[in-house]
Amino acid sequence: MSASLLFFIFSALVVLLLLLWASRPSKHRFTPGLDVFEALSQSRHSSRMSHILQALRPADTEFLRQTGQAALMQTVRRQRKRIALNYLDQLQEEFETLLEISRVLALMSPEAVGVEEMERWKLSLVFAANCAFLRWKLRLGLQPFSGFTLLSDMATNIARQLEAATTRIAETAVRGSEPSATGHENIGGL
Amino acid sequence: MVEPLQLRNLAWALTTTVECVLFVQLARRKFLDKYPWFSLYVVSTIVQSAVIATAYRVFDTPNMVVWKIAWGSQLIVAFLRFQALVELTRKILGRYPGIWALAWRLFCTVGILVMANGLLFSKGDWYWIFHNVERGLELSIGAIIVTLFLFARYYRLPILRLHSALMVGLCLYSAFFVLNYTLLEKHIQELVNFWGFLDVLTYLATLLIWLNAVTRYEESAAHAPPPAIPKELYGKLSSELNLRLYHLNQQLNQLLRSEDQHR
Repeated sequence: MSASLLFFIFSALVVLLLLLWASRPSKHRFTPGLDVFEALSQSRHSSRMSHILQALRPADTEFLRQTGQAALMQTVRRQRKRIALNYLDQLQEEFETLLEISRVLALMSPEAVGVEEMERWKLSLVFAANCAFLRWKLRLGLQPFSGFTLLSDMATNIARQLEAATTRIAETAVRGSEPSATGHENIGGL
Repeated sequence: MVEPLQLRNLAWALTTTVECVLFVQLARRKFLDKYPWFSLYVVSTIVQSAVIATAYRVFDTPNMVVWKIAWGSQLIVAFLRFQALVELTRKILGRYPGIWALAWRLFCTVGILVMANGLLFSKGDWYWIFHNVERGLELSIGAIIVTLFLFARYYRLPILRLHSALMVGLCLYSAFFVLNYTLLEKHIQELVNFWGFLDVLTYLATLLIWLNAVTRYEESAAHAPPPAIPKELYGKLSSELNLRLYHLNQQLNQLLRSEDQHR
């Protein structure tokens, strides 16, 4: 079988398969009225990370084991696993909200920057893969608790970085929404 | 038993009839001025059928003149087909200047890459260059349409059912054209009638999709485009959003890494 035969057949089949997948009606709809400011000012789950992690320290369960309360320790661990999974869901939700905001921004912009959009697309792929992997690990119970200790120490630092980034977004957005000489319409209806 | 040549002629006559009905429907629904390139493309296919049928009648046996007429008209049809694609793409994405500015560059890159890849297999042989240009062009059209659908899906852009059906029709024909052509390329001379029949059949299916779309779907007004923001503001907000997304990703990564360290 020649290379050209393989190339053309493979490419045509890929085109057909992708067409089948991409032309399905999407569950998610375009949100023309999405208020960028409101979406940005929503509470951020990631900022509560340190509190959640504090409650997930393995020392707590070790203490229960030492006092001979193994059954209680199992119950606590199950609850912690549920909390961790819930936290992961919320983190993913926050990520999705940010992506949604960035999509609306790209639609509002007179010229979307390819590099920025590509970077965002790559980040979303990496995040989705990591999220799925971590969720799988937690569900299978592969040492989900010990890892939270180190993370707890890092959480404060990351939360601070996130807060700084968010503040800068809000400041930039507010500055951009102030009436300007260019006569552009304001975003978010402000 | 029906000869493949007779079958092909029958299918040919049928497609020309459907093309005429499609054109009438385009005119009846007042789509001619809204989709000038697509309408021109449909007209060109009708004219092409008439020209080739006349050429076959005038010259009893297929010869070089008929071949030149057939390929010459095919060039015009392919050009108009490409213009119809551009027209539909602009109709779908043109309302969003930022996205359109990014999308047309991406589509051009995809189209050129696919075409260039196809031509690589020609190895400087003019016979294959000629054949691969046509096949590569069809593959490019298919790839561009799929990229458009993926793009619209990512940005959650609404696509009218009419536009979607017209695009799906174009893409299906392109992909099946490449498949038919490639699977039969070694035996194209012996199986020319069979290949012609398959090609006409695929095209007929495409025409029926278009006819259905033009008859049933309205060109209703989509959502109003969102208000515009200055380019500088988009740039700043976009970078900050990426930074925040990056931090969220970092959180997950550290969660994964810290687990491994404690194992």
